[in-house]
Parts: sequence; C-alpha cells; structure tokens
Amino acid sequence: MNEILTKAPQGHIEVKNFSLSYDSIEGPVEAVTDTQIHVNPGEFVSIVGPSGCGKSTLLNAVAGFLKPTTGVVTVDGERVNGPSAERGMVFQQYSLFPWKTVRENVEFGLKMRGMARSQRERAARTLLGLAGLDAFEKHYPEKLSGGMKQRVGIVRALATGPKVLLLDEPFGALDAQTRVIMQQILTNMWQRLKISVLFVTHDIDEAIFLSDRVYCMTARPGSIKAEIPIPLERPRQQSMMMSSEFLALRRGLMSLIREESIKAMGGEITDLGMQGLNIELHGHSLADVI
Amino acid sequence: MSSPALLRHSEDSMPATTAIGEASPAPAAAPAAAPSFGTVALRWYRLNRAGLRAIAIGILSLLAFLLVWHLLTTYRVVFFVRFTNVPSPLAVYASFTKAIHDPKFLMHIVLSCRRIFIGFSLAAIVGVPLGLIMGRFKLVHEIVFPVAEVLRPIPAIAWVPMAIMLWPTNEQSIVYITFLGSFFPILVNTLHGMSLVDPVLVRAAQCLGARERSIFREVYFPASLPHIFTGLTVGMGVAWVSLIAAEMISGQYGIGYFTWEAYSLVQYADIALGMIAIGVLGLGSSMLIRGAGQLVMPWRLK
Repeated sequence: MNEILTKAPQGHIEVKNFSLSYDSIEGPVEAVTDTQIHVNPGEFVSIVGPSGCGKSTLLNAVAGFLKPTTGVVTVDGERVNGPSAERGMVFQQYSLFPWKTVRENVEFGLKMRGMARSQRERAARTLLGLAGLDAFEKHYPEKLSGGMKQRVGIVRALATGPKVLLLDEPFGALDAQTRVIMQQILTNMWQRLKISVLFVTHDIDEAIFLSDRVYCMTARPGSIKAEIPIPLERPRQQSMMMSSEFLALRRGLMSLIREESIKAMGGEITDLGMQGLNIELHGHSLADVI
Repeated sequence: MSSPALLRHSEDSMPATTAIGEASPAPAAAPAAAPSFGTVALRWYRLNRAGLRAIAIGILSLLAFLLVWHLLTTYRVVFFVRFTNVPSPLAVYASFTKAIHDPKFLMHIVLSCRRIFIGFSLAAIVGVPLGLIMGRFKLVHEIVFPVAEVLRPIPAIAWVPMAIMLWPTNEQSIVYITFLGSFFPILVNTLHGMSLVDPVLVRAAQCLGARERSIFREVYFPASLPHIFTGLTVGMGVAWVSLIAAEMISGQYGIGYFTWEAYSLVQYADIALGMIAIGVLGLGSSMLIRGAGQLVMPWRLK
C-alpha cells in the first residue's frame, strides 16, 4: 500500500511522429496523422476533440492495443509493445468483470501478478476503503450505480501501482451530478498518487477542470490542433468553473472544437447559410434565435 | 419530500420496499422493539405474494388436468380422439404402486439414468472445451465447424442403424446416441457464448497484466458460462429424446423400452406410467442443471 502511495514520480509518456491508418476497400484510411504528444511525470493531460477524431485511437495506442502505422509510443523511454499492467486503463463502459465481486475485481491485477490471496485481499480492502466502497466489497458490479462502478474501475486500474493511468471518456455515461463528484474523486486520487494521467473526453469543462494541459485534436484524420496549458491553481473547486479565467479558457477551447466539429460534420456552415434556411420560429428566424 | 406525511404515505403504498423504509430515518418515534413474528410473516407474505400465487395456480392447474383426464377416460369419450383404451389416472396410480415394489421397473429407471449420465457427461466433457477452443482459435473453428454443421441436422434417431453397426454392444450404441443428441446443442451454445464475450473485458484483463491462459480462465470461460448452461439444459432435453427413441428401437432395458414393451403386452396403464416417469426424470435432470448453474454463477442470482 505505502509502496503505491509514496512511489517516486515517473510515467513519462512520449508519442512521436505518430500516425495510424487501417485498410478499407477504398484503400488505407488515416485515423490519426502526424501527432506528437507527451505527458510529463505526474502530469494530468487531457485530449479533447470532435467525435470520431481519433482521440480514443490515440489512447488505445498508448495502452498498447493498437500498433502505430508510423512513429513510436514510449513510456519512460521504453517502447510500448502491447498492453501491460504498467499502464492502467479505465473504460467508459466500466468493464468490470460481472462474475467477480467488487473486491475480486480490484484484486484481479494483483492476482495476475501472483500475489498471495490474503495479501491481495488486504490491499484491495484498503484501496476500497480509500474510495469509500468498503461496504460494497462483496457486491457484484450489477448491483452498483454507475458512479460506484466507475470508482471500482479506477481503483482496480490503480491497484497494481501503474506508472500511468489512461482514461477513455470515463464519466461519459454518468449523470451531471455524479460526474462532478467523480471528477473530484479522480483529482484527489491523482494528487495523492502523483501518477501521470492521460484523459480522453469530449467535455470541455471536464478537461479544463481536471487538467494541467489540454490537447485539442482536429477532425479526422486527427492531429493536434492546439496545446493549451491550464494555469488554474490547485486544489481546484467547483466554484472555479464560474471564474473569468475558466470561462476564457472555455471560450477558447470551445471555438477550436466548434471549427473542427463543423468540419467533421462534412461542411462549412456559415452564418449566411444559416440565414438562407430562413426557418420561422415563433416569429423569429432560426438565425436570430441562434 | 422530507415531510413525515409523505414518507409514511410512500411506505404504506409500497410494501415491497420495507427494507429501504427502515433504513431511512423513521419519521415518527418508532418503537425500537424487534418486529413481532406476525409482522415478519406478513412482510414475507407480501414480498413473496407473486411466487405463492404461481404455486397455488400451478397446483390447481395440475389438479384440473387430472380431473379432465379422469372424466375423459371414465366416460370413454370418443370425439375424433378415442379415449376408449386410455387408462384412467387411478389405473395408472395402481400400476405405479405396484411398479415401485418391482425391482425390474426400478432397474429400467436406473439403467436409463445411467445412460443419460454417461452420454450427457461425455457430451459436456467434449462439447464445452471444444466450443471454448473453437471460439478462441480461428483455425480450429475453420476446421471443425463445417463438419459439425453437416452432422448437426441429423436427428439422433437417424443414427440408430449406424450406431448399431459402429459399436460392439447395444448398450454402447444407446449411450452413443444419447451423447450425439446432447453434444451439438452444448457445442453450439458454448460457441455462441464465446462469440458474445465483450472484447472490452478482454482488454481490461490485458491492462491488468493477464496473459492468454489467465484471460481464458478468468474472462472467456466465466463470460460464456450462461450460454454453456443454456446448452447443457437444451442438451439434457435432447439427450432424453434421443435415449427414449434409441431404447424403443434397440433396447432391452430402460424406461423407453418399458413403455414400448407395455404397448406390445397390452398393458395400457404401464404406457402412461412409462411416459410420466420419462417426464418426471426429464424435469428432474433439467432442474439439476439449473441448480448447478445457480451454484456456479452466483452473480446471476437476482
């Protein structure tokens, strides 16, 4: 336990000259092209972008599920060649094992590492206690709410003491209130563990609130459009989301993403085009309403 | 929402949620004493009302079936279907009381159960692992699947002549037919279960350091279990169908042979007795499988 909590900061992710394409009947399709990103040890970095831009593809390549077509992914200088317990992953669909209890789910990584039963039981209990889930250790995942499931998912990914934590829209399926609480929990855990985090989301507020740095991706084929440092001080409070600093960052990111989303939808929707629609809504045209 | 009146109202109107009602702070000064036996019994009744109702109606329905059977046979109804020679429930009961003291009848039953046990167990021992391996390794699937697909539609009964040629003893050919009957449902359902394993769960396991062997044991196998048990249940049903057919055609013992022999010997009550015995045994064996499934898959208990 202590070993996990006091580990020296490491987990330097480096993605260089990265591109990934897959074959189709019309020839190779580029999902991600010419991308460089990095995450410093202990840093919290988010990737945002329009849907289908390849942000999850990029994350899956860091996890080792996908091989880059060109370029390399390294963690602490070591090339990523496949999935490993060094890179913990949290999925949007929770992906808890339904046939294992909450505690058995958390124990799984330790079991794979060959840790003795009593030892891993104790470790799992401690971790569940930190996440406020001790009362549910014997429950099967099906009985838990979405927020609880994802807390188990995060604890399970952290149990083996990975160097980096990768999260693929982890709170996308949760309601707004739960999402805010989960963001707070994740921040707390991250600050305690001093672990590097790469976080994929389409929620701009979430990205700003959580991150030290945000990468914004272009529409497909995805590449990095902008890198935005988030200078908001920590610890961050929910009330910060109303501050002028936060709102300025939000406006900036919003316009970046809007441009790309429109491209992703396959066209340029100009204001003139909108006016051309000339739809009447309670006496106002659609353009007026917008 | 926190008004006591509202809380009390919701408790009254929803007896099924008494446990939740108790956990929330009591609106009024509730007596701290443990609930009396009467209250507990009443709550138990309320929670299990639907189940009790199903049991009560089920018993009534079975009694009605017996009554109709009794009336049709006592009055020897002939209306397209002829009940002239059909034994009455009482006649069947009489031959049942006689049969349970007859070691020969018991031997018929024991032998049939033994054939089911051996044939079905072999089918499960071969079918489940083969399905798992076919689901995991494409090459095995590509080799085995075409053969299985060609053999699968052949009803087990059609195998009887071939089985008699293939196997040295009658007993072996009957077990073989039972095996064949249950083998294909088990194989196909295991394969289906494997094809439905959520790839995200496999990825999650890989991210936690699981290797091929562990992924097979910890993810693919438990994930397929619900379908494996569907296959076992269906397979058990088909095993009985195949067994009875094989016994009627080539057997010397067994409950299927007993039923056919009763017809040849014009012991009509024994025909019905044999049929009911087959029904009860079939029901019992599928209940065993369901029970085993619940033991093996506690996470599926509601």
